[in-house]
Amino acid sequence: MIKRSFLGVKKPVLKYDFVESEGKEPEQLPRPSSVVLLLDEPLDSTRINLVKTGDQVRENEKIYLYKNSREYVISPIQGEITSIESYPGEFGDIGTYLVVEKSDHERSGDTKTDVVESLAGPSLDTAEKYLKTLPGAPPFDVLAEKGSDIHTIVITGFDPDLMATTRRYFLSNLKEELKEGIRVLKDLTHVPKVAVTVPETVEDRPGFEGMQLMIISGAYPEALPLMIMKNHLNITVPPGKSCVDMGVCFISAEAVIAMARAFRDKTPSFEKVVTVTGKDGSRKTIKAMIGTRISEVFKALNININENDRVIINGPMQGFATFTLSHPVQPSMDSIIVQDVDDIQHISDYPCINCGNCIKICPANIPVNLLVRRLEANMFEDAAEKFDLQSCIECGLCSYVCTARIPLFQYIRLGKHELLQMKAEAETEERNG
Amino acid sequence: MAKRLKLIVSHAPFWHDGGSISKMNLNMILALMPAAIFGIVRFGVPALGVVALGISSAMLFEFLFNLVSRKPVTTGDFDAALIGLLFAMMVPAPTPWWVVVIGTFLAVVIGKQIYGGIGGNPFNPVVLSMAILMVSWPVFFDADAALVNYRFDFKALAPLPALKHQGAGALYHFNAGDLIMGDQIGSIGSIFPLGLLIGGIYLIVRGYIKWEVTVSFIAGLVATAFFFNLANPDSFAGPMIHLFSGYTLLAAFFLVTENSSSPVNFVPMLIYGALGGFLVILIRNVGVYPDGTIFAILLINLLNPLIDTIRPKALGRRVNNA
Ligand code: SF4
Ligand code: SF4
Repeated sequence: MIKRSFLGVKKPVLKYDFVESEGKEPEQLPRPSSVVLLLDEPLDSTRINLVKTGDQVRENEKIYLYKNSREYVISPIQGEITSIESYPGEFGDIGTYLVVEKSDHERSGDTKTDVVESLAGPSLDTAEKYLKTLPGAPPFDVLAEKGSDIHTIVITGFDPDLMATTRRYFLSNLKEELKEGIRVLKDLTHVPKVAVTVPETVEDRPGFEGMQLMIISGAYPEALPLMIMKNHLNITVPPGKSCVDMGVCFISAEAVIAMARAFRDKTPSFEKVVTVTGKDGSRKTIKAMIGTRISEVFKALNININENDRVIINGPMQGFATFTLSHPVQPSMDSIIVQDVDDIQHISDYPCINCGNCIKICPANIPVNLLVRRLEANMFEDAAEKFDLQSCIECGLCSYVCTARIPLFQYIRLGKHELLQMKAEAETEERNG
Repeated sequence: MAKRLKLIVSHAPFWHDGGSISKMNLNMILALMPAAIFGIVRFGVPALGVVALGISSAMLFEFLFNLVSRKPVTTGDFDAALIGLLFAMMVPAPTPWWVVVIGTFLAVVIGKQIYGGIGGNPFNPVVLSMAILMVSWPVFFDADAALVNYRFDFKALAPLPALKHQGAGALYHFNAGDLIMGDQIGSIGSIFPLGLLIGGIYLIVRGYIKWEVTVSFIAGLVATAFFFNLANPDSFAGPMIHLFSGYTLLAAFFLVTENSSSPVNFVPMLIYGALGGFLVILIRNVGVYPDGTIFAILLINLLNPLIDTIRPKALGRRVNNA
């Protein structure tokens, strides 16, 4: 953790770590005999379900929870579904997890679709239908849906949050495969412009001809998508709009490579590269099968987790803390950080004291000190209209420097979440009324 | 799922730079020490009494108010201690105990707590309290009268009242070098500009006060005093005398920078400070009070919400319909 320096007059800088893991191959974890698969869809007893506990699944089988579901998972192993349960996410969002236990039972009377046969001819349609859950979580649904509106694809060869070297590993060590992947991606999407984010330390940059190279050299949050939009693409994203709305789609280098391999080998891969940071700050990259419980990861790396430690997934600034060691390795999981109970800084219930630290550090010029007062009072619309809630790029720096230790970022994300829900409700009402 | 282990779940970010309100206030108190100790050494036991009473009564009022309003006890953030210390440093050593107690009551309860506590006060609590007392019992704040029984080995005059009553002719008593080293009389904590400078610069370097406000306050004050002096050197003292006398430096580092009553945006901080410095000299030179610092600060506190509306456009927001 980076503490305030003695010279507090300078605003704190969270430098990205440019140390290369070059040459070192990630440690390969054993294939687990049981996997946990997460679906971003709540359990719903009113819908017609397509799977139940006791069902047999084959390796590479695509699983939908319900008829008309859009979300799917692909089982990395052959086995039996032993449980289907709710999985609480942030802000009351509910997902579902399936547990698949390995078994050698062959299922008879098979009618379900198989991924392997469908990968014969590369197309965006196939990619959307079968490759959304590849390592790196490629946004094929966005590309398929908004394909013609997307004019730029940014391949992220640099990890946006701190303490992760996953994407950089692919950029530095698997460059040829990455280039091949970019070629496939271009063929699939016909997007005119492709750009790549590259850390300043990668010297050997040729080979990306015809692509814009975006050099990341400074400190967090420079590699966050919205900062890249501003600094490298010169595109203003109006409040409440996303990068995709402005025609720009971000894809991780890992996802691009995984896609190319899937089409080449006619089978999806489940090997996810994850950067794991232990309590003492020591860092390791591992390769684990999607669905592997993180408890297995810790076992393999000899990391002891004690009561009241904190396990952070996807970065210290933007990530989330999981409540269970059964949380699986997911397609979008780039890093795991373990924080010792003694290193956890507590938040307070103080009000804003108007010290101005957040104002100095906010890259989006948001009047955080005024905004938080509205958010604390649940005045979400006011917060968006007058105090620029929607301009926030979600870097979390305001919380990081807050003297009163207000969970500012939590308020901000909650506020945005509430706005989305209000909008969705208004839309349903309109449709019904 | 396997055996249950309780993990801490909370929201991002999971790092914090380690700063906190209590650390900030402790550093402010530390920064006040050189000037406070100098005052205690110069004025002796009565000064020590005032400082001790100021801090303890302020903390007690905060504690009692917490109890009465059934809020968590907040004395641990040292904000009340800082208020008490600042108040004590702004009064002369022989101030009667009951004036000190009323003063910290006004500062902690009327100045801060009734607005909801820390962060809610529109005025600097200490300044508000001082203003009420100065209007009610001006006699206690006349350092010359209060300190009449002291014997000093230098010309025992408070510079600003001397200026007020005798014009710049009184200036031969003072030079900036003596003033800065503490050869002047005044309130307990304001007579040692060098100590205040050391403490103040420490706070700026550590990032605990808004340097923009301090720098522009001093710039505004020096510039205004310079032009008054230029226009009429016989009645108006030069900038150095103003800078090193009265509450000037105490205000520049510790009062105008008070978080809640000052702006947070860059340009507003500059305007706010400069306006404060300008008003101090205006009141000193043209008004009836020898030291205009207290009222100048109240005035800029009042204007703060207005000034702080000048802020940069948020990301993605463009000028109307552009
Ligand atoms: S998270 Fe905070 S600092 Fe970052 S953009 Fe949003 S308001 Fe600004
Ligand atoms: S950093 Fe925290 S206490 Fe300081 S102004 Fe911002 S919200 Fe208020």
